Amino acid sequence: MSAPRPQDPNARAGWVDWLERRINLSEIFSFLTHFGFVITPVDTSRPVREVMRELAETPVPKYASGPRVLGLLTAILFALEAVTGVLLAYYYKPTPEAAFESTRTIVRDLPAGWFLHQMHAWGAWLLAAVVVIRLLRLFWDGLYRAPRELLWWTAVAMVWLVLQLDFTGRLLTWDAHSYWATVRGMEVVFALPIAGPILAFLLGGRVVNDDVLIRFYALHVMVLPTLYAACVYFTFATLRRVGLSPTPEGRPEATTTFRSHLYTMLMLTVGLFGVLVTLATVVPFRFLSAADPYVTPGGVRPPWYMLAPYAVFQWLPVPHWISGLVLLALAFGVLLLPLFLRGDGSPASRRRIRLAGVVVLAVWIAMSAAGALLERR
Amino acid sequence: MTTTRRPSALWRPGAGRGGAVASGLVPPPALTALALALLLLPALAALALAQPGNPTPAVSGSAPKSPASGRCGVCHPAERVQFEKSQHAEEDVRCTSCHGGDDRSLEVAIAHGAGFKGRPARKDIPALCASCHSSESRMRAYNLPVDQFALYQTSGHGRRLARGDTRVAVCSDCHGAHDILPPKDPASRTFIPNIPKTCGACHGDSALMGPRGRPDVLRQYLGSVHARELYDRSNLRAPTCVSCHGVHGAAPPTIGDVDKVCGQCHTAERRYFMAGAHHPATNGKRGPECASCHEAHTVEAAQPDRLASSCGQCHAKDPKTLALGRRIWTDYRSAADEVEKAAALTAQAEAVPLQTDDYRARIEEARTYLREALPAAHAVEEDVVAAFTTRARSVGHEVQSEIYGKLGHLRQRKFVLILFWFYLLLTLFVLKRYRDQGARKA
Repeated sequence: MSAPRPQDPNARAGWVDWLERRINLSEIFSFLTHFGFVITPVDTSRPVREVMRELAETPVPKYASGPRVLGLLTAILFALEAVTGVLLAYYYKPTPEAAFESTRTIVRDLPAGWFLHQMHAWGAWLLAAVVVIRLLRLFWDGLYRAPRELLWWTAVAMVWLVLQLDFTGRLLTWDAHSYWATVRGMEVVFALPIAGPILAFLLGGRVVNDDVLIRFYALHVMVLPTLYAACVYFTFATLRRVGLSPTPEGRPEATTTFRSHLYTMLMLTVGLFGVLVTLATVVPFRFLSAADPYVTPGGVRPPWYMLAPYAVFQWLPVPHWISGLVLLALAFGVLLLPLFLRGDGSPASRRRIRLAGVVVLAVWIAMSAAGALLERR
Repeated sequence: MTTTRRPSALWRPGAGRGGAVASGLVPPPALTALALALLLLPALAALALAQPGNPTPAVSGSAPKSPASGRCGVCHPAERVQFEKSQHAEEDVRCTSCHGGDDRSLEVAIAHGAGFKGRPARKDIPALCASCHSSESRMRAYNLPVDQFALYQTSGHGRRLARGDTRVAVCSDCHGAHDILPPKDPASRTFIPNIPKTCGACHGDSALMGPRGRPDVLRQYLGSVHARELYDRSNLRAPTCVSCHGVHGAAPPTIGDVDKVCGQCHTAERRYFMAGAHHPATNGKRGPECASCHEAHTVEAAQPDRLASSCGQCHAKDPKTLALGRRIWTDYRSAADEVEKAAALTAQAEAVPLQTDDYRARIEEARTYLREALPAAHAVEEDVVAAFTTRARSVGHEVQSEIYGKLGHLRQRKFVLILFWFYLLLTLFVLKRYRDQGARKA
């Protein structure tokens, strides 16, 4: 660590220098950059002002625009979810007796509580959409091929985590639909041949009760977000090694300064915030009645990402353990895509793979539509 | 002792085989067998007791009772089976109590000998039963009333029997002959849900009732709101035949008494009816009764729309009275609509969610007014009904306007959103300026 230099004419003897003499600020800054602020390594032996000034003028490739922005959105939306989630956790009580009441207190009685609740719900909706669209984009551009397998796996893991965050978060409100959607989902999970009993043990039994609720809560606020943050780190760690996704052929890489990149990111955050506020105000999620373990309401459907398997299993009444296995196989199948779809890199093989992807996606969308319209048997 | 011997006998051959294999390491075979036998003892003892051949030990101290049917059952097994299950058998009433004779003998000449009455004639049955059931000293121990026979003689059944018509109900038709059970027993003919069927055995038999010019009232009753309450909702307090006609003194309510009978349960309706223009005390002549609009046996659930149609049954030629009924109906309908609109708005507010506990309570209050308006309509006076409908309507209005106010407050959020976007775009513009400035400098 270099000594502070009070003789430097540019340095002001302010709180930064006061701190700089006591802790290595560049080191902290460097740590933060690992989560995506900057993709160049930081020299931690120099004072933070100098590092940042130099960094601000460093040319960086534009990655806050075009399809690359999707990766950035997964991080920004997650940060918004974390902030609103923490504020919600101040008032939420994870017991079956108090869960619904405390949620209603937040939404109905707290000033701006409805706003936090709706922001969190819409943020989750957008985050799920963004991670899925990002996965589709990575597939479309063949970004699962060497050397980007880790990027793909991380992206798949992020989809898993977001869907599980959504699944666990849904139960927390303990309203009629979330409760029964969870009961139905857990039936499939617990029926898995070997994993089922283990999961039943880890999630607190086969009956959706207070044990399950507190475990879902712990998963939702601690375990899964931590894993997701680790995934964000991994994403940028791979990017630092293998580089950003290549630009389309024949187009040169546009560069910008790090300062303007930061501004772009700030604008993106503000814009996203505006979109969320608009959605939360104009199309708020309906507030439902409390869960009753003895009354199943009509019209309970799984969330949008599970509508396709829901439609299939409604048509084909197979045992739960088979449907669970099929879903598990699908999830792992997507993960292992780089091993199956290598191709020879020629435009022809790439077209074939893309076509297959489009067909699978079209079938999935059609089945989802069927699931949304299907009358429950 | 037999049980202890049995397992060791069972295990003896096994013990011998074990002895051939065993050296010094295992305990002596006889000991092993004994230990095993001791371990298995409880299980085997249980098994032995459960075997059907084993005689079950008699309960000590109670001498075997001779059956209440005595030896009659030897020749009359079907009657014996019915009788042994009945309440009378429990209380030591014997065959001979009603039929006479001697139940200790198997000789027909002796059994059907001195004092033998055989099958009692229908006309004699009420008096026969009354020989015990009218005796205060005999019935006191059971806390049973003793006036059934006296009541029966006042009933339609009893009066016809006195005139020599034996095709009427006597005690045994409703209570059974040999298999009499207390009315609290669900198998009893007189258990509340079984009463319509018991009366309907005759009154639902058109072959029996047709010649007498009586309708099939069982069928009529089964279609009524009273029967639905009794059977569909298992409400044992719902009225059956006996609730209106009486039990042993069964007779149709006389003209002028109908409102008293119905009024036993429908107290509010009767109160308004008595105060209204239809009651004889008010208009001095015989007016309509409950059954005139509601029918006697096919009583339907409250149908407010009857207000618009029922009047025409008598007042078809009186447009003024017809219009009165229609006005009461319209008034009630509009108040009910207001309350339902308020309830729908409350549900809408709940989904936002807004605090609605207070509104729910007030809507319940309004519904109570509406419920009171229906009995009040029996006074056939506009003002009496309007006293309730006006209150219900005003509560409905209040709740609606308050919820509209709060929902309107929500709409303001959307106007604030426009302001919010103005500032947001301004922020974006400023950020863009900073970015572009930095880029130019670079």
